[in-house]
Amino acid sequence: MELDYTPSELMAVAGARELQDREVVAVGLGLPVVASFLAKQTHAPNMTILFELGVIDPEPVDCGVGLADPRVWHRATVLSSFVDILGAILHKGLVDVGFLGGLETDPYGNLNTTLLGDPRATFRHMVGSGGANDIASCARRTIIIMRHEARKLKPAISFVTSPGYLAGGDSRERAGLHGGPSRVITDKAIFGFHPETRQMTVLSIHPGNTLDDVLGTMGFAPAVLQHVPYTQPPTREQVRLIREVIDPQGMYMG
Amino acid sequence: MTKLTTLAEAVGSIPSGAHLALSGFAISRCTMAFAREVIRQGIRGLTISQCVGAMDMDLLVGAGAVDRVIYGGGSLDRFGRLTCVNRGIESGGLQAEEYSSLSVTFRYLAGSLGLPFIPIRSLRGSDLIKRIEEQTGSDVATITDPFSGESWLTLKPLLPDVAVVQVQCADQEGNARILGPRWDNPEQVRASKRTIVIAEEIISNDAIRQNPEQTVIPGLLVSHVVELPFAAHPTSVYRAYDYDARQIENYVQAARTPDTFRAYLDHLVYGVKDHQEYLKRVGGIDRLDPLRADPTLGY
Repeated sequence: MELDYTPSELMAVAGARELQDREVVAVGLGLPVVASFLAKQTHAPNMTILFELGVIDPEPVDCGVGLADPRVWHRATVLSSFVDILGAILHKGLVDVGFLGGLETDPYGNLNTTLLGDPRATFRHMVGSGGANDIASCARRTIIIMRHEARKLKPAISFVTSPGYLAGGDSRERAGLHGGPSRVITDKAIFGFHPETRQMTVLSIHPGNTLDDVLGTMGFAPAVLQHVPYTQPPTREQVRLIREVIDPQGMYMG
Repeated sequence: MTKLTTLAEAVGSIPSGAHLALSGFAISRCTMAFAREVIRQGIRGLTISQCVGAMDMDLLVGAGAVDRVIYGGGSLDRFGRLTCVNRGIESGGLQAEEYSSLSVTFRYLAGSLGLPFIPIRSLRGSDLIKRIEEQTGSDVATITDPFSGESWLTLKPLLPDVAVVQVQCADQEGNARILGPRWDNPEQVRASKRTIVIAEEIISNDAIRQNPEQTVIPGLLVSHVVELPFAAHPTSVYRAYDYDARQIENYVQAARTPDTFRAYLDHLVYGVKDHQEYLKRVGGIDRLDPLRADPTLGY
C-alpha cells in the first residue's frame, strides 16, 4: 500500500533532507520549524537550531503561535539577544543554512515579504523583513519554502526584501554578498540554481505531478534538466514524527 | 536613590515629539499599559523604534500618537499583522523607515557604544536599502574599510530620547532583570538618553546585590521605575503570564477599520482612568489568574 502523505509533509521532509548533521540553521516559524526538528530527530542529531530573537536549540513540548511565544523557547540551551544570534553567530558567518518563506520569489530567488502591489502607487503592506534580510544576506546558503502558485513564483516581484542572486550572474557577489539560495521547495517541485546564470532550475518533481503541472502553474519559465526525476517520497517514520511528535495539533503544517 | 513612581508620572516625563525605543517583540513584553497612558495623556508626534514592530507600537500608531517609525518589519505572530502601522504606511500618513531586525539592532548597538557609525553586511542589494536612501538620505552610507579596502555599507547610530522596557523585576533604583530572550532591549537601553523601567514586581536592592550577574539594565541608566502587575497585558511576560489570546483577537478585529479601532480605544483606553480600571474591564482577577505562568514551563 502506498504511503499517504500531504504536499506540506513532503515539503517539510524535502527541507529536512537538505540539512546535515552538525550544521547551524537559522529558522523561522511554520514549515521550516517542522523541517528542522525532523532533521534533528532523524539524521542530524547534532544540528543547532537558532531563532533570531535569542534562542539556541529549543526542545518545545507545545506548539507556539510565533517566535514571540515562550512555548517555542522551551528547553533552549541559550536565551539571549539579537546581537548574540543575528550578530555574533549569523553576521560573523557561522550560520550554514537559513530557511526562508515569503509572499513572492523570482527566477533568481529574491524574496518579498514586504508588500504587494506598486510601492510607488497602491499597495498592501504585509510583514517586512524581521531577520529574513539578515539571514538571506549572511547565511552560507538559504532554502526557500513556498507554495507553488503563479502569483507567488513571478518573473518580477513587487519588492526585494531579501536578496537572492539579484539580477543573476555575478550580481550578488558584486553587491558584496556571499552565499545565496541553494533550493526552492514548493508543493510541486524542488528547484536549484544554475551555477553561472543563477537561474532557477527544476531539480525534481513531486510524485503525482507532471512537468506540465509544474511549469503551467508558475509565472516564469525555469530551466529544466534533461531528465527530471521524481522527488523521493517521505518515509513512514518521517510522516509519523511530523504527525505525532513535531506538530500533533497541525499548527505549523496548516 | 529610589526612582519608584506612578505610571502617570513616568509617562508625564515624555514630551510630545520624543523618540521612544519600546521593548515589545510581536506579542511579548510589550509596553501596553505605558502606551495606553501615553494615549490618555494626549502625547503626540512620537517617533517609535523597535527591531521588530510589536503590539505596543501598533496601538500607539492606531491612536494617532506617532508620526514616524523606525523598525525591521513586524507582526502579531499568528494573530495577524500590524494593521494600524500598515494602514499608516499604505495611506502615506505614517513615515516608516523599514530595515531588517539586525540593522535596527546594529544602529542601537552603535549608539550604545558611542560609535559614529557601524558597518553591516545586511540590506545590500535589497529594495529596503533603496527606500531608506530615498527617505532619509543621511542614515546610511558606503565607506571603504581602511584595512582591507573592501566596500562596506554603514549605518548611523540610533539615539532614542527614552527607552521604555517591560521587565519581570527591578529594584527601586532601576537595576532590572529580563528573564528569557532579551531581543534588542539591552542595546535600546544603552543607546537611549534615559530609560523608564516598567516592572511586574519590585525586589529589594539586597536581592539584586545577591545575584548581580542577573542584572540586565543598570540602574544608573534609569530615570523612572514603575511597579505594575500585568502591565504588558494582553501580551506575555515570560515566567510571569501568558498572552491573552481572546484580547489580542479582540484587538485584531477592532483594528480592521479606523471606526472600530476608535471604539476599541474608547472602551479600553480613554474609557478607563488607569491600568487598574483597565484590568477590571478586561475581566479582572478571574480572567487574569489563569494566564499566570507555570513556574517550570514559564508560560
